[in-house]
Amino acid sequence: MRNAWLARVVSIGLTAMIGGPAFAADNDGLVLPAGFSAIVVHEGQGTARHLDVAASGDIYLASRNGLSALRDTNGDGKADVVTPFGDVKGTELRIFKNWLYVSDDVGVYRYPLKKGELAPTGQRETVVSEFPKERQHSDKTFALDAKGTLYINVGAPSNSCQEKDRQEGSLGQNPCPILEKYGGVWVFDGTKLNQTPANGKRFATGMRNAVAIEWNAGQNALFSVIHGRDSLDTLFPTLYNAEDNATRQAEEFHQIVDGGDYGWPYTFFDTKLGKRVLAPEYGGDAKKEPEAGKYPNPLVAFPAHWAPNDLRFYSGKSFPAKYREGAFIAFHGSWNRAPEPQAGYKVVFQPMKNGKANGPYEVFADGFAGEMKDNSPRNAQYRPVGLAVGPDGSLFVSDSQKGRVWRISYGGK
Amino acid sequence: MARSLRFAALIAGTWFAAAFSVAGEPAPGQVLYNKHCLTCHQADGGGVPNMQPAIAGGTWVTGDASALALFVMSGGFDSASRKDSDVGNVMPPFRQLADADLAAILTYIRQKFGNGASPVTAADVAAARGSDPIS
Repeated sequence: MRNAWLARVVSIGLTAMIGGPAFAADNDGLVLPAGFSAIVVHEGQGTARHLDVAASGDIYLASRNGLSALRDTNGDGKADVVTPFGDVKGTELRIFKNWLYVSDDVGVYRYPLKKGELAPTGQRETVVSEFPKERQHSDKTFALDAKGTLYINVGAPSNSCQEKDRQEGSLGQNPCPILEKYGGVWVFDGTKLNQTPANGKRFATGMRNAVAIEWNAGQNALFSVIHGRDSLDTLFPTLYNAEDNATRQAEEFHQIVDGGDYGWPYTFFDTKLGKRVLAPEYGGDAKKEPEAGKYPNPLVAFPAHWAPNDLRFYSGKSFPAKYREGAFIAFHGSWNRAPEPQAGYKVVFQPMKNGKANGPYEVFADGFAGEMKDNSPRNAQYRPVGLAVGPDGSLFVSDSQKGRVWRISYGGK
Repeated sequence: MARSLRFAALIAGTWFAAAFSVAGEPAPGQVLYNKHCLTCHQADGGGVPNMQPAIAGGTWVTGDASALALFVMSGGFDSASRKDSDVGNVMPPFRQLADADLAAILTYIRQKFGNGASPVTAADVAAARGSDPIS
C-alpha cells in the first residue's frame, strides 16, 4: 500500500521532471481501446475544422473563425501558447515541406513556415482562387502528393442534381450539368501560384462531396470517403421510408483514380442490398442497378449520413502494429437521419493492407456527442471533424462544436 | 356578436387541436411537422448549424401569419434575416400541401417554437396562396 503510494509520488515527480503529458484520468469522457489515453490539448478557437502537426510538435488549426497556431512549451501536452494568424476562414489545412497549405470556400493558399516561428509571419500566397462561391458543399478540402500535386475536392452544390434541388418528386437532370464544374476532384500543380479553376484538370468525377480526401504515401495513391446523398424518403416517399433514408445510402470509401467516376448523382451504394442502385431521380425503383461495371463498388460502405470529414493513414510508429497502413476517419455525425436516431459522431479505424480494406472497421474513439438532447446535432457536446498524426505517433482530433483538440496516445499511462 | 364569438371559439378549437396532443396522440400539426419539416429543422426547431436555420424563436415564426404561410409555400432562402454562411440548403416549396395541413403545421411551430404566437387558420393560408405567384 505504502509502496504503491510511494511509486505514484515518484511517478508523478518523474512525469513532472521529464515533462510527460498529463493525460486526463477519464480520457475526457472519450471511449478508447485498451491502452490508449486522451488529453485535451486546447479548446476555444471557434468552429474548428482540420489540423496538422509539424515535426516540432507545433499544431496548426483551421476553423471557420480563422487560423491558429498552438504550442506546448512545458511538455504537459496542453497548448500554452495559442496564436491566431492570417485571414483564411475555412476547413482544410496541411503542412507540405516548408509550407502551410490552407483553404476556404473559394481557394487554396499557403504560408511559409520558418524554423522557430510559430505563427507564420510571411505573406500569404494564393495557389488557386476564384472557385465560384456556393452555399452547399463548398469547403475546398484537398490532398497533396510528394511532388506537390494538389488534388482539390470541388463538392457539388446540390443533393442529387434534381431539376429542383431537394424538391419532392423532382427528377434528375440528365446528363447532370453540375458535373462539368463540380462533383469531383480537380488536379493542379500545387507549387504554382495564382492559378484559377481553369488551370486545373478534372481528375475524377461522380463525387457529391469528398470532404475526407488524403494522399496515401505508402500506396502512392489518392483516397476519399465521400458524403452520400440525403432525403430519399422526403423526395421519393413512395419508394423509401424514413428508416430507409436513415440507413441505406453509404458513405463510400474509394481509392480515387485518374478518370474515375464514382456514380453521383445517378447511383448510390445501398448498404441494405449490398450493391449499387440507380438513384430514384434517375429511374431507380429502390432495387434497379446501373449498367454492370460502370461504377466501382466502395472499398468500404460506411453507414448512411455519418459525415466523413477527415481521413488520415496512420504513418506513426507508437500505436500497435495493426494500425500501420490503416485509415482513421473522423465522422462528424448525421443530421439527415432525423426523425430516426442520429449516428456517427466518432473516429473509426479501418484496417488496410496494400490499399484495400483488411477486415471490418472498428470504432476507435467514441463518446463525443454526449446525450444530444432532442436528437439534435446542435446539442452534440462535441463533433469530431479533423485528424492529424503527431511526430510521436499520437493521433490528434479536432471538434467543431467548441473547438476542442484532443491528443490520443498509446501506452500513455 | 354571437357569430364572432362562435368564430373565435372555432379558431381557438382549431388552434388547440393543432397545437396539443389529445390522449397522448401527437397533434395533427406535429405529425405533419415531423413528416415534412423535422429532418431539416430538427425536433427542437433548432435547425442544423451551417445547413438549415433554426426556426425556434425566429422572426418568421413569431411574425405575420400570412407572410409566414407565403414563405413556406414558396420555399427559398431566408435571405432577409440570415447571413448566407448560416444556411447551406434551400427550403423546398410546400405549396402542394392543403390549406388546412399548412395551417396545422404553422400553428404547431408558432405554438411550440414561436413563443405562443397566434394560430394560423386555413383561411389565412388561402389568403396567402392568393398572393403566391405560382399557385
